[in-house]
Amino acid sequence: MITYPRPSDYAPAPSLRIVGIGNAGVHLADRLVMSGAAGADVVVMNTDGQSLTSSIASQKLTLGPKVTRGLGAGGDPEVGYQAAQESLSEIRDAVKDVDLIFLCAGLGGGTASGIAPVVAEMARESGATVFSLVTTPFSFEGRRRNAQASEALTALANQSHAVLHFENDRMAELTGPRAGIEETFAVADETLISCVTSLAAILQGGVPMPVGLADLLCALGGGSARALFGHGAATGDNRAHEALEAALRGPLLDRGRLLNESHAIVAHLSGPASFSFAEVAAIMRGITKHVADSASVFFGVTTASDPAAPVQVTILGNYDRQSVEEAEAPVRSRTEAPAPTEKPDPKRRPAPTPESAPAVDESKPLFPEPAEPDEKPALAPRAVPVDPKPRPKIKPVAKPKQETLQFESVARGRFEKSEPTIVEGEDLDVPTFLRMRGKTD
Amino acid sequence: MKRQDIFVGVEVGTTKVCAVVGESGRDGTLRILGIGMAPSRGVRKGEIVDLAIATECVHDALADAETNSDAEIVSVSVAVTGGHVRSFNSRGEIIIPDDRFEIDEEDVNEVAIKAREVNIPAGNHFLHSIIQHYFVDGQAGVLNPVGLMGRKVEADFHIIHGVKTRLQNTLRSIRENNIEIEEVVANSLASAQAALDEHQKELGAIVIDIGGGVTDYIVFEGGVVRYSGVLAVGGDHVSNDISMGLRIPLSRAERLKCEEGSAKIGSGSPGAKIVLKNDAGFSGKEIEREMLNTIIHARIREIFELIRRQIEKEITPHALGAGIVLTGGCSLMRNIKEVAESVFDLPVSLTRDAGVSGPKSVLNNPQYSTAIGLIKFAQAQRAEEEESGLLGSVVEKISGWFRRRN
Repeated sequence: MITYPRPSDYAPAPSLRIVGIGNAGVHLADRLVMSGAAGADVVVMNTDGQSLTSSIASQKLTLGPKVTRGLGAGGDPEVGYQAAQESLSEIRDAVKDVDLIFLCAGLGGGTASGIAPVVAEMARESGATVFSLVTTPFSFEGRRRNAQASEALTALANQSHAVLHFENDRMAELTGPRAGIEETFAVADETLISCVTSLAAILQGGVPMPVGLADLLCALGGGSARALFGHGAATGDNRAHEALEAALRGPLLDRGRLLNESHAIVAHLSGPASFSFAEVAAIMRGITKHVADSASVFFGVTTASDPAAPVQVTILGNYDRQSVEEAEAPVRSRTEAPAPTEKPDPKRRPAPTPESAPAVDESKPLFPEPAEPDEKPALAPRAVPVDPKPRPKIKPVAKPKQETLQFESVARGRFEKSEPTIVEGEDLDVPTFLRMRGKTD
Repeated sequence: MKRQDIFVGVEVGTTKVCAVVGESGRDGTLRILGIGMAPSRGVRKGEIVDLAIATECVHDALADAETNSDAEIVSVSVAVTGGHVRSFNSRGEIIIPDDRFEIDEEDVNEVAIKAREVNIPAGNHFLHSIIQHYFVDGQAGVLNPVGLMGRKVEADFHIIHGVKTRLQNTLRSIRENNIEIEEVVANSLASAQAALDEHQKELGAIVIDIGGGVTDYIVFEGGVVRYSGVLAVGGDHVSNDISMGLRIPLSRAERLKCEEGSAKIGSGSPGAKIVLKNDAGFSGKEIEREMLNTIIHARIREIFELIRRQIEKEITPHALGAGIVLTGGCSLMRNIKEVAESVFDLPVSLTRDAGVSGPKSVLNNPQYSTAIGLIKFAQAQRAEEEESGLLGSVVEKISGWFRRRN
């Protein structure tokens, strides 16, 4: 039989490699391998040889065997950085010849904080697009650790194209106060894993309308801001609604409320061939309802050939950087004061800068300059790629939304003051024909 | 005449308060003596929002009923509804001790209590727990396990509960008139009593009572309640939709709905107009008939679709042999039957009150079906009490304790 290539086959799916750095990164990488969801090759790197022996990843790299003697970085990013310098060529080999790199690391300790920025830099030099998925320590882990983490985060944000930042404090809120510690960690792991897998799925492209890499980077390019992530999947009659609900219920979105603070979000929908336009429209309306007027929404929808595939909704974005920075500013100035954090500072930061700046210019065919070299001293994560892009997109998104808002504010008539009747996510007091008109538009 | 033979049902609805007085004959038949009705104010979506006004309306309706039936009303049965009324199915299980094999009355009561040991929200209150069927050592479909041999008795119950304080408001509007309350019955259950006969309950049927403020629905199959629910949407919403869609006053929309409205679209000639005459505070208007019907159709269809989706979680509606029975004031809407038929793909009939004699105008009016159902419910309850004798009636009192201590 002759088979014709489908449109999606023209562009080969980008190759993806997951790099786990440090104990937390190795653990997450192992979980990804076990869940089998990643479908990518996995490399783990650590200064602690013992944690690597128990890892199930196929490629393992012990960094800085001379500096650390395979005993870990002892919580000192300086040691981590030296270890990375020692094993520079191994790192370079581990990240080359691949389109996409997902860096997984738990910042705050020695290894990840010291090594991750170097790995990101190497990966970028070799032409890969780098997504960093990082966690930052619990606040109870002390100021020093938090300061190390925030410093490493800034360095990492400068080196990678997009950072998804998960705060452990917030991840701990995913479960109730009485949940067991195992359960809490398991839920946090699951969130990270589902984030990695859905991000990978988005980047694999598809028909009819994939989310472009540039769009994704625009939405996630908020530097060290906190990540917004929600994912839901459902089948059955009410699948569109249920998947949307599950995605918005993601605690990292705070029931959709935090979406309002994001300057740009990516909404990716996927489903079987029977996934109807009306369902897509209904889901997107449900999402844009929560998004600020000025924010851009990058929207993609792909269908799978498997008729039993569930409808999946993935929402990705970053907190608006300004509001976050305002909130974090006092904390940062306090935490940067103690001596220990200043020690690695002068050595580490200048090192990547001169090397990366020229390399950046050669190695980016796909998207605008993600890091302006002269921005670095100001510690500000890249603002440049974010701002020029959304502008043309703002208007088409904001317009239809305002119309529906007008409906909602006046449309309840005599039931204005009574308790609303909300069934299946719809306010039944609003005339049906008005809600239907919204659906068919 | 003995007081016990007179039953009164009161429904404090969103659009009207309705009281029906009935008399029980020696052979168990019911005869309607008279009805009383008063337009309802202070009630929204089936719940009281202004107690003083609602109390007055109840008084008017009861006084009207007393005059019409020539009987003194002392105690009544009341129907309650509202968006807060919830229901679910629950199974209880007990193991008979090793020293005996026969299941006795006590075990049956215990399993009923076990089934009720489920979590409902703190401020909530059990309205009904209705037995569906028993299982004895895995044998399904046992109707009465007393006297059977077995080790394990399980029982499926359908439980209806609601927010206690909100239920009490309805009861207070009646108690304020110095009237005793005999039974408190969920609206859906009462409507089904009037709308279905035993045969239909056995075959399986859905009763949908579309009232002014709320729509109650209940599913019977194999003679037992399989599912029930309340949707806080009703005829008022239709009027509100019309008023907003056509930009006419609400009172005019209400009248237009009753006089001209139809739930079917595409039936009239295209471009047909309805001329609304001018009125005090309304300057007259010409509207398109199709527009009106489209608005009504969208709302009615949505109500049915929501109900269908809820019911499908529990059972497949196609198994219901007796189809759908529509009742409640909104079932008077023209062509509503066709809409229900197309949504559920089942035969649809409008209510007719079986097993009750009285003026035909009352029996055929779906607006009274809840109140008539209340009488039937109370009568059946009374008959059960008398049947089970003194001991039984004590047990019944205890099991009915939740229902009455409102």
